[in-house]
Amino acid sequence: MALTPKSKFVDQYVDPVGKSVPRIEGRGIVTGQLKYVFDVQMANMLVGKMLRSPHPHARIISIDTSKAEALPGVKAIVTAQDTHQIKFGSNEYFFPHTVDQMALESLKVRYIGDELAAVAAVDEETADEALRLIDVKYEILPGVFEIEEAIKPGAPQIHESLNNIAVILPVNFGNPERLMKEADSVRESRFWCPVAHPSPMEPHVCVGQWETFTNKITLWSSSQAPFKCREALAKTLKMDLNDIRVIKMAVGGGFGGKLEMLPMDFAACLLSKKAGGLPVKICLTREEEFTTTRRKHGMIYKVKTGVKKDGTLLAITGEVLADGGAYCSYGPTVLAAAMMRIFMVYKIQHFRMTGYRVYTNNPISGAMRGFGGVQSGFAIESHMDLVAKDIGMDPIEFRLKNITEPNTVTVNKMILTTNGLKECIEKAVIASGWNQKRGKQKHLKRGIGIGIAADVMGSKMYKSHESAGAIVKVEEDGSVYLFTGAADTGQGSNTALSQIAAQALGVSFSRIKCKAGDTEITPFDTGSFASRVTFISGNAALLGGKDAKLQILEIVAKDNNLNIDDLDIRAEKVIFRKDNRVLMSFDKALELCYSFKYGKQIIGRGSYNPKTTPIDFRSGEGNVSGSYGFEAQIAEVEVDTDTGVVKVLELWDAHDIGKAINPQSVEGQIEGSLAMGIGYTFYEDLRFKNGRVLNANFAGYRVPRSIGLPKMNSLLVETDELEGPFGAKGMGEAALLPTAAAIANAVEDAIGVRIMELPITPDKIIKALKEQAM
Amino acid sequence: MLLNPLTLHLPKTRLEAARLYKELEDSKVLAGGTFLLNSMKLLKTKGTKTARNVLSLAKVEDLKGVTFQGDTLTIKAMTRINDLLASPLPDGHLKILHTVCKNISTNPIRNMATVGGNLTCRYTWTEMGAVMIALDAKMHFLGPDGKEDIIAPEDFFKNAARSEKLFTHVTIKTQGVARTAYRRVKKTVHVDIPLLAICVKTEIKDKKWYNTRIGINNGSAFAQRDPVLEEFLNKSSSSPDLGKEALNHLTNTIYDTRSSDYKQHMFRVSLKSAIEEISQKGTL
Amino acid sequence: MEVNLTINKKPITLNLKGNETLLEVLRDHLSLTGTKTACQETECGTCTVMINGKATLSCITLAANVQGEEITSIEGLAQGDVLHPVQQAFIEYGSVQCGFCIPGMIMSSVALLEKNPTPTQEEIEYALDGNICRCAGYPKIFEAVREAGKKMKNGPNTKI
Repeated sequence: MALTPKSKFVDQYVDPVGKSVPRIEGRGIVTGQLKYVFDVQMANMLVGKMLRSPHPHARIISIDTSKAEALPGVKAIVTAQDTHQIKFGSNEYFFPHTVDQMALESLKVRYIGDELAAVAAVDEETADEALRLIDVKYEILPGVFEIEEAIKPGAPQIHESLNNIAVILPVNFGNPERLMKEADSVRESRFWCPVAHPSPMEPHVCVGQWETFTNKITLWSSSQAPFKCREALAKTLKMDLNDIRVIKMAVGGGFGGKLEMLPMDFAACLLSKKAGGLPVKICLTREEEFTTTRRKHGMIYKVKTGVKKDGTLLAITGEVLADGGAYCSYGPTVLAAAMMRIFMVYKIQHFRMTGYRVYTNNPISGAMRGFGGVQSGFAIESHMDLVAKDIGMDPIEFRLKNITEPNTVTVNKMILTTNGLKECIEKAVIASGWNQKRGKQKHLKRGIGIGIAADVMGSKMYKSHESAGAIVKVEEDGSVYLFTGAADTGQGSNTALSQIAAQALGVSFSRIKCKAGDTEITPFDTGSFASRVTFISGNAALLGGKDAKLQILEIVAKDNNLNIDDLDIRAEKVIFRKDNRVLMSFDKALELCYSFKYGKQIIGRGSYNPKTTPIDFRSGEGNVSGSYGFEAQIAEVEVDTDTGVVKVLELWDAHDIGKAINPQSVEGQIEGSLAMGIGYTFYEDLRFKNGRVLNANFAGYRVPRSIGLPKMNSLLVETDELEGPFGAKGMGEAALLPTAAAIANAVEDAIGVRIMELPITPDKIIKALKEQAM
Repeated sequence: MLLNPLTLHLPKTRLEAARLYKELEDSKVLAGGTFLLNSMKLLKTKGTKTARNVLSLAKVEDLKGVTFQGDTLTIKAMTRINDLLASPLPDGHLKILHTVCKNISTNPIRNMATVGGNLTCRYTWTEMGAVMIALDAKMHFLGPDGKEDIIAPEDFFKNAARSEKLFTHVTIKTQGVARTAYRRVKKTVHVDIPLLAICVKTEIKDKKWYNTRIGINNGSAFAQRDPVLEEFLNKSSSSPDLGKEALNHLTNTIYDTRSSDYKQHMFRVSLKSAIEEISQKGTL
Repeated sequence: MEVNLTINKKPITLNLKGNETLLEVLRDHLSLTGTKTACQETECGTCTVMINGKATLSCITLAANVQGEEITSIEGLAQGDVLHPVQQAFIEYGSVQCGFCIPGMIMSSVALLEKNPTPTQEEIEYALDGNICRCAGYPKIFEAVREAGKKMKNGPNTKI
């Protein structure tokens, strides 16, 4: 018999979408009880460590592990000999030749930190000692560390690619050369966008366990993309997907650094196998975190524009050179994104830009938050201000003249449906008091500047499909399980997706329990990146909730001799659509489903594939995303011309997010992104010398802290994206994109100094002021 | 384990601590631990041996506290930075100690780090050296025989912050009415590695400067005085241009003309601004 | 050596070697994994606990050196099921995202508010400058601290 339904679930969040529902994990977080892979302690667990190359470029002559194997307490050592020596990479579908990394190298090492072997021992000391006892003979090769040096003929070749160029992306439309000649004003700029690092608070950590008799693996990983990790493990270990289970627990931040399988994930599994099935935990030190995971691509961004006197943008040309480091990772797609974002923001028909993803013997560049958009945001938005100044036009007016509009198709075939860019600009202008401030505060050494940006909110750039799935299982007692493959890394997707599922099902939020990111239990999901989760995974959760609802209504309709199309479930009640008359409570309906007569299990399923067209990376054409988000960001600064210190007084970010599923979470993402944007503008600069990271710690690589951040204003613009779940687009990284430019533009307004190379440091300001005075 | 095996010694009195300081071999003094334990962890990860004996001053009650009696301020070695910050100080130039404390590292470190550790840790760039020089403080050291040595901080630093005896406290006299200014520059606004700390103390009568003491920490050498600049200022009077004029009297070695343009610029900006601040405070 | 510690108001006697940090004692010996570590070099603040009500970095505290002191970790804040006002506020004001920095952030906040329940913005910023949060950008953390302080000042029935 079905259990007596309770009404304990009805709470203030009966219609949860649009409400700031507190995080599901909140209580676990504030009591310290939420478990991360970092906290996993298992019986007989071994400590694993990676053996890494101390040289940026060398041939491996020999690896002798005998002394290490003899050390008491060492339970397993693996090298390339223990592997199938299959390469892996993150852009396999579109760029197969960029699959270039071996989990454990045996021939050549290409950056300081490149992995050759791994050990598992009873404790950390023994593991460290074992690493010291592994004898590796190297033949040191000359290395190359600067982008422009690496592409010169004759430079040391890192892979089998011409002039160390992994990928060339030409993006060509129209006839920019002809249009450039018709321009009244032409400007050429070169920008340097430095290297930042995701630096999540929880370092990369994983626990691998190999069931030696059944040959099944379980990997607990602090991952943003457990399914991608599984895919790569299956490939490199030559196993079936189904024999590998990747479990994501709570993740202490990712920011793009935890999007792929790393050699440590591979090694943990293999070590466990060799150690007879004992679990092996590998946790990176902060230094390893900075040097051997993934970093932002440093980019030389050259752009040239031709405009008419009246401000019409005629043509854009340029070149982007990205420092990719030793392996490809997400490089090609990051590079593509760095160029093609322009089409989402500005109306342009004539365009030629070539991107080069260059190999260097530096640590590996990947898909850090912003995905090429931070670099292009700084370069393009700084450049546009210069262009406006050339023709004596106000930067707002110039942008309003050239921005994309709703319901348009760009020259590269991106379909922009809802587009709140204009509204965002207007909103930010009013909120910031732009008209009273721009050009009027020089005596106070204050200035105000704008940057605009767009982002893909439901993109497909990696695989044949990037659909997301969801299962909504309604239990007899009225609780509801949402199974989603989406990976909550702190952005709140568990909560938001639960809100969507609850709303779709028609019930209170408190019924929902979310299970996420377990490849064996939850449906497939590509992962948390490219700000896709709300749109893609959200739609899957919505469809799952709807499906479950229909299954319930089917029983209700049958039992009451009604037409299912006349019924709906809303706010915990089964109602007639026509007049909202209540037929019965949700709990009553459920009782019916689980009754002796019907005994129907309610298991809703959802699958969502964003409506995109494949990108042709040779031409740059393709509607890469099912939805696009837009923003305008304004920064007000004050410069101390004695010390060169730029203080950001206030930031306004007006954001077209479609609809806020959870306004508090959206603001949290915006504020976090703004802080990261400030970090990128002023002090996040990972520096290398001869391939070695000079500031691989929090003392040398500064991230934003509590002191000195500006007041942040999140202005949400809701354009109600038709295709989005309840009109939502999403919010993940976009607020990070235009910050550096908005600040650089504000600095120019304040003191007439234009910084073309980030970060904006006091010494650069002082130097520029001195030059200005001469 | 994050640290190598060690033996922890926990004396209860100053004399016991002073004796152990002399007698223990292969030992380090544990005050706040923010430097020592941090570096011991780092050395261990590199496979380097660290001190076998750790002499902790945590339980020596008579090494804690800030007292003001008569005209003497006494700050004992184990006083935590935040405790000094919270201690009421007499009105006047001694309040500069609060300013110095606020500019040290981060909050939990300020709760743990000690005045003694900051002065004796043998890192050149710590904050307290410059201010103790400027305030004409006296550093007190205790030997195992109970005998005390009293050393001026500038002499202590000239000896590369080495001492045979245990540092116990500083005393600062408040004779006369003085003015102080303190400037601390970081490498960028957000990189907490001090490039420079300047502390200027002077007595002013009828606008004229007397008994000027300047403590400078340029980040690469131990804190030191600047006799040339002091001499110039002792012949000068407060004026809006005094800061600018003072810049013509900088000793290259102290202001390190080999350092970057920005660092030199900040030396000049900081010094000028500190002198101007005092100048503007008016006559006494 | 025998080490007597008072952790979350409970006296505990442990048999230690003497070189254990307080962090290791909490996480490895007592399985109190709420206190984290993210840098091992005094910069991140995720290892923050309270010792005698002061925010302290447990990764550079020798366990044997803090015998006789009152040690409070994140696990010691709630009274049974009832959350501390700061814990409650962090949930309500949306200050928690990935959560990894939060135990340390809460400890620093509690240490501040117990001495000063109505801090200025500057005082809040200075009290939390040792705790890095990579996710939240800080505004909601500041708000939670302010509101929790009001509750701590005005008594447990104050609505936040």
